[in-house]
Amino acid sequence: MPACKNDHSVRPSAARRARLLGLLLTLSAATAHADFLVQDVQAQFTEEALLLDTRIELALTPKTEEALAKGIPLDVNIEVQLIRRRTLMWDKRVADWVLRRRIQYHALSNQYLVSGLHPDVYDLASFDSLASALRHIGTLQEASLPLGKKKNISNDGDYSLEVRVFLDLEALPSVLRPVAYTSPSWHLNSGWTTWIVQR
Amino acid sequence: MDYVDSATLNRYVTGVKPLAVLSLLLVMALYMLGAALQNSEMFGHLYASLLVINVLGLVLLLTLILVNVYRLVAQYRARVMGSRLTLRLLGMFVLLAVLPVAVVYFFSIQALHKGIDTWFDVRIEQALNDAMTLGRASLDAVKDDLAQKTRGMALELEDRPDKGLVAALSELQDHYGLSEVTLFAADGKIIASSGPAALGARSLVPDRPSETLLAQVRQGLMHAAIDPAGKSGLQIRVLAPVHSRAAGASVRILQVLQQLPARYSKLGQSVQDTFGEYEKLVYLREPLKFGFSLTLSLVALLTLLIAVWAAMFSARRLVTPLRDLAEGTQAVAQGNYRKQLPVPGNDELGILVTSFNDMTRRVFRAQNQLKRSQLEAETQRTYLETVLTHLSSGVVSFDARQRLRTHNVTADQILGTELGRGDGRSLVWIADTYPALAPFVEAIEAGFNQGRGEWQAEISVLGPAGRRVLIVRGTLLPGLTGKHGGYVVVFDDVTALIQAQRDAAWGEVARRLAHEIKNPLTPIQLSAERIRHKCMDRLPDAERNTLDSATRTIVQQVEALKAMVNAFSDYARPAPMQVQTVDLNLLIRDVVELYKGRHNPVRMQLDLDADLPTLSADPGRLRQVMHNLVLNAADALAMTEQPTLYIDTRRVQEHERVYIELTVRDNGPGFAASVIERLFEPYVTTKEKGTGVGLAIVKKVIEEHGGQLRAENLATGGACITIRLPAGAEAQAGEPAGELKEKSA
Repeated sequence: MPACKNDHSVRPSAARRARLLGLLLTLSAATAHADFLVQDVQAQFTEEALLLDTRIELALTPKTEEALAKGIPLDVNIEVQLIRRRTLMWDKRVADWVLRRRIQYHALSNQYLVSGLHPDVYDLASFDSLASALRHIGTLQEASLPLGKKKNISNDGDYSLEVRVFLDLEALPSVLRPVAYTSPSWHLNSGWTTWIVQR
Repeated sequence: MDYVDSATLNRYVTGVKPLAVLSLLLVMALYMLGAALQNSEMFGHLYASLLVINVLGLVLLLTLILVNVYRLVAQYRARVMGSRLTLRLLGMFVLLAVLPVAVVYFFSIQALHKGIDTWFDVRIEQALNDAMTLGRASLDAVKDDLAQKTRGMALELEDRPDKGLVAALSELQDHYGLSEVTLFAADGKIIASSGPAALGARSLVPDRPSETLLAQVRQGLMHAAIDPAGKSGLQIRVLAPVHSRAAGASVRILQVLQQLPARYSKLGQSVQDTFGEYEKLVYLREPLKFGFSLTLSLVALLTLLIAVWAAMFSARRLVTPLRDLAEGTQAVAQGNYRKQLPVPGNDELGILVTSFNDMTRRVFRAQNQLKRSQLEAETQRTYLETVLTHLSSGVVSFDARQRLRTHNVTADQILGTELGRGDGRSLVWIADTYPALAPFVEAIEAGFNQGRGEWQAEISVLGPAGRRVLIVRGTLLPGLTGKHGGYVVVFDDVTALIQAQRDAAWGEVARRLAHEIKNPLTPIQLSAERIRHKCMDRLPDAERNTLDSATRTIVQQVEALKAMVNAFSDYARPAPMQVQTVDLNLLIRDVVELYKGRHNPVRMQLDLDADLPTLSADPGRLRQVMHNLVLNAADALAMTEQPTLYIDTRRVQEHERVYIELTVRDNGPGFAASVIERLFEPYVTTKEKGTGVGLAIVKKVIEEHGGQLRAENLATGGACITIRLPAGAEAQAGEPAGELKEKSA
């Protein structure tokens, strides 16, 4: 019976991955964290995958909402890293996944469309409201993350998950990117959160 | 940082290639940035990286240019050659480049903004809005109609049990021409379904509404919406609660999906796409302007910086040969004729620099030739000087006006002069300064006046060491313009030669005299003794006394004559030398010790050099020399009160050769003027009993040892004889000792 516990040890995102444009916009990081929040993560190992349940609160800023309403698709990426904790050595990253979600406004039907960005899988859902669409994105239920070659998960190993969710600025139209890079309203990032996988 | 690193850095900062490569890369990056801005699939994902690369590249380019400008300004302040011209040219080039770029940039920005604004038209926007409204209204009508039908179907299904529902749903689907009809339980489980999914057309699972929608319907609300997420395009989704009349039965949920006709769907999608694109475009208008302006600004900045750099490069390239020429000229002015400048190219500047290099090369060659000639002349002069210095003859040269030009050391030694003081003076100066040289000057004047090419004369001059015989030869020197270039006079001191000839003659005379005289002396003596012996007893007393006196006189005089003849014989007879190392000081002390007695009134005062080197000599002969000198002095001091004899020795170095100098002087009356010139000749004496060979033997012994001697009267009174002998093994060489310098007479 997997039992996940949030130890609230959120690591600063800049420390983990200094993105190129993050250098320009460190000021916006604090405000951006408040809009995306990883509330709960639960994980369970199966034979070939890691089953993930999440509850992530996603809220857009007025600027991003406006862009969405004007037909700009927004990509929300959920990054998950499986870490094996070790006492005498550095922690080892066993696997990592990126779950991409795209939200788009359909003006004719006044619906918000959420797609999984998997070309092979038809994964499109429509929602009356933005809140419903964002809730749908943030709620993962038994999402299967394949372990692939990392099957050798030790039974008595101590594992944790690093999870963060952010708005992918690189997916924006290139014209909009300079504005997004330079505006704090566009920097939506939960920062890394650590969740211990208990067996 | 070491020198190599510094040079490498300098090459990177000021070099052409690094800047050119950087500029090229930046141009490429800017092109990619522009392409990315226009949604290029190729570079879109690199937009951020390109932006950063461009900004960093421009900053680097700007830094390089600023470093160059800083260096240029520093050179200008340090007044480095060419920096002023470079700065002036740079300013001019930059002005020429910046103005057009600025104008183009300004108008481009304007045109860009206006161009983007023209994409948007209020009427088009209104038309699109109207189309969208129309589309929505059309779809809403269909949706409302379907909602109405669904409500009816829900009422119809209220009393239907779960069994047989599939057939009922299928009937309803057929009746209303629906795509899919599904009945869900309150918890979302599918009770029955009819439609393509149920028939296994594409998926076995019927389209399932979201939990949110199910929850909404569970509360008794209907849901009707256009669903763009349909698998086959636009569809209408209606959900309605199906209440059961049975008490306690839960609400079931009816979902009806109606696929819009293909034409509707296509038109709707078209309206959506166009409207969406237009809305997107409107929204992106400002970012688009910003993006293009940014790219344009970067391009303008890059153009500007490249122009500045090109201006800098051109100015430097133009000024470098001029600066090199200026530096080269300065170097030549300071005497550096080796200066060669790098040829900048085949243009006029290149020709100028080539000419300069050619000029300096020729000047350098000429300078080298001149130096070589000077060196040759100097070598020749040194050679001549060396030859003249080591000549045993005196050489004096005069110019065409008979003024003294040069002379050698031997000339001064022979004449006892310092002709160096009279360089440029006439012959009269010599005659005035050294009156004793009057015959020498007269002979030269006579020779000059004869006007012949060569002349010769033998003269006799009176010096402090006595009369000297000189053979003087004069020669006219060739001149440059056909006239004679002066005179050279060469003269030799032949006094010693004549003396030697005289000595040789005297030796021969003495040997013959001794031989001829000695032979009859013994018979004379024997005869006289025999007469005395035979006749002594026969004669009366008176006559006996006379005979006795006469025969004794004969015998005594014959003995005296024998002694004199033996002395002459000793002088003339050559004897082998018994050479060995001699300490002259010790020898002098031994000899002097013999004369220190009660019967000798002469006081001996020695001043012997403790560092005196030894010499190779025959000690017996040197002892004879000392005996002769001491006896000679003792005889001369017979009438002197407090007679004192001073004997000094000292070490003398002359022309890297070492000599031992022995001086014997007294406080007596000195040499008589009548004999001083022939003092060392045999049979020259002022003494009543002397044979006159004492000093002659001294001279002979000294010359046998390769030495020299000189006799003179001291100014303070008394006679002085100076002997110079070569030290060490040189005595055997038989070479004459260095010239004895005149002392104060």
